[in-house]
Amino acid sequence: MNILTYTDAHEAFRQRVRNFFKAEVAPHADAWEKKGIVPREIWRRMGKEGFLCLGVPKAYGGPGLDFLYALIVINELVHTCHFGLLAPLHSDVVVPYITAFASENLKKRYLPGCVKGDIITALAMTEPGAGSDLTSIATTAKEDGDEVILNGQKTFISCGINCGLVIVAARDPSVKDSYSGLDLYLVEASAPGFEKGNCLNKMGWHSQDTAELFFNDCRVPLSNRLGTKGSGFMMLMNKLQQERLVCAVSAQTAAECALEMTIDYCRKNTVGGRPLVKFQENQHRIVDMSTEVKLGRTFVDKLVAEHMEGKAVVAEVSMAKAWITEMAVRVAEGCMDLYGTNGNLEELRIGRFWRDLRVMAIFAGTNEIMRNIAAKFMGL
Amino acid sequence: MEFLLNRDQADIQKAAAEFARGEFDPDAALEDDREERYPLNLRKKACDLGFIGMHIPEEYGGQGLGVLDNTLVVEAFCREDSGLGMALGLADFGAEIILRNGNETLKKDLLPAVAQGKGMLSLGFLEEGQFISPMDAQASKNGTGYRLQGKKDFIPLAALADHLIVACRTGPKDAGKMSLFLLNRASDPVDTRPSGTQLGMRMISMEELVLNNVTAPADRLIGEENEGYGPLMGFLQEMAVEAGAMGVGMAQGAFDRALDYSGKREQFGKKIIHFDAVRNRLAEMRIQVETARLAVYRAAWLLDQGKADAVTLWTAKILGAGAALRVSSDAIQIHGGLGYMKEMHVERFYRDARALDLFLLPGKVLKGRIADHIAGREGQKS
Repeated sequence: MNILTYTDAHEAFRQRVRNFFKAEVAPHADAWEKKGIVPREIWRRMGKEGFLCLGVPKAYGGPGLDFLYALIVINELVHTCHFGLLAPLHSDVVVPYITAFASENLKKRYLPGCVKGDIITALAMTEPGAGSDLTSIATTAKEDGDEVILNGQKTFISCGINCGLVIVAARDPSVKDSYSGLDLYLVEASAPGFEKGNCLNKMGWHSQDTAELFFNDCRVPLSNRLGTKGSGFMMLMNKLQQERLVCAVSAQTAAECALEMTIDYCRKNTVGGRPLVKFQENQHRIVDMSTEVKLGRTFVDKLVAEHMEGKAVVAEVSMAKAWITEMAVRVAEGCMDLYGTNGNLEELRIGRFWRDLRVMAIFAGTNEIMRNIAAKFMGL
Repeated sequence: MEFLLNRDQADIQKAAAEFARGEFDPDAALEDDREERYPLNLRKKACDLGFIGMHIPEEYGGQGLGVLDNTLVVEAFCREDSGLGMALGLADFGAEIILRNGNETLKKDLLPAVAQGKGMLSLGFLEEGQFISPMDAQASKNGTGYRLQGKKDFIPLAALADHLIVACRTGPKDAGKMSLFLLNRASDPVDTRPSGTQLGMRMISMEELVLNNVTAPADRLIGEENEGYGPLMGFLQEMAVEAGAMGVGMAQGAFDRALDYSGKREQFGKKIIHFDAVRNRLAEMRIQVETARLAVYRAAWLLDQGKADAVTLWTAKILGAGAALRVSSDAIQIHGGLGYMKEMHVERFYRDARALDLFLLPGKVLKGRIADHIAGREGQKS
């Protein structure tokens, strides 16, 4: 029995997504990894195929589909062996803020472009001085007539170079309370005073254009504020469940993918004429890793089902994000062990999984923060 | 029982740390890692000051010091920088084979050049399947000399080396008889090409070597014919301690960086070092470093006493590389998002630690060898 019920329509969609990624994305992944960014155009291609922003309602140009469709895209994307084309962040993390909290005007203005891939979005929360602690966000948003003036710096912003629209977390300097002073603003890349930094050099995610963003007297219309004044923190808390779920699903799928690849390698490679899968120690290792991977899948699928039912499963999602991202690194490391000396060769790609997975225990809230949140929701 | 370094050893440790602090350029290290480039100039400086081949006797151009002294240097270098430290440590890969098994002429010809940085040496013992035996590369008798045929893989810095030691079988594939030969890059027609782009240890290119009917005169044989396995194993065991020392250094270096960062970084109104999640992690890291260091120092000391056993030596590498891997991963976590950025270096320590664990003989293989010693090989097929 499957925890999640995929219909024939879902499966047909999966096949379409898979074929598209196989033909249009996977063959370019290595080149994009070298280049440090994915081309703008591939986002438009995805939009044209209807693979972006699956949850956006029809009224705003989206297909208005359920979360399982999003999940299919996330899963299939991981199989392309790179994380640069970060469509899940756009479709399932950033754009939902607009769908849920933006004014009718903003939705009409931005959502169709997001669905088509003409607009790539980014979410700018983290700052050099504000990582785990969102209350220490220092970027200011000062109201000036019907405009707001942003000043500050953001860092580790995914799609920071390709983005055309950024949700910026900033505080009203006249409000003392660090929670109610926080707001979210939609900032277009062309806004005066907004500047993109360079791509950051990272251990993994080489094809992802993670960057710093700078705001120097950056003026945006006051009407670009999401939700009511002072609700920034509440909105973030509201949407983080899905962000962390998306992160857990990606890590889960990557672990499955790495293990699948490794089992295949161990079938094909031999020592003294004997395939690696025929050694007891390797068999047991593979079985142990498969057990962990299956536990992760069961857990995360159940959480997806509950999330789709609209339940608040914050504690469990936090646990899943922490456990699964750490399990995935453990599995990738175990896989490399099975490759032996060859595991250090980039061409075999198992090391890329290991490099790429490591950051998932850090972003979308570090795993230490996940444990804090779970503890809080458990009433500890 | 004496667990303290003597005065000379403490001085060597201090001198190595000072050299590393003064001469290792973090920006150059980032660049060498990115470009997969070996730091030749740094090696020259280290050789000039006697830090390379420290355990080679003075009559062969070395310092005539012990394995433990060399261990301290390697550790200090890798503590300062994982990549540069390993690069310096592997500039004389295989020298101990010459030192322990070569004849007088060979020792006089090769070792001073290696120790003084005028030449580089490396050793090829692995093949595509990454195991030592059964071996494909073969040396057959050719008059008074030999003809070498086959491929060796994962030879560190083979493209830069002047001399290469290669292990070839001198008998049928399953007979387990092998011999060691010395090749001269200037005169022997051998080609090398990179085994592939590497994830870690990127300054130390691993190379594949093709032996296409290379003729080697009889004096190229190192040690006795058919008796190469013992010397090779002896070398790998000695090298396991050096690799363990690299691991201890990297683990300590990653710990230093995490400790420093956590004492400066503030979140939620206090230094992050004061959160249990961070301070307890630091404690765990410290335990790992200390455990590995004890095992590595003891193994090195036993080598100097001539009392080392294989299990102790393999254990040194497993614990050293293991500590490096765990501690550098923890150091990344403590640095948060910054830890994943190349500019903070700890991600490089982590990649280098992963590569170190897979290098030489991977930890997994070494555990199998220890099991062989404990339980014997009866019923084991390969």
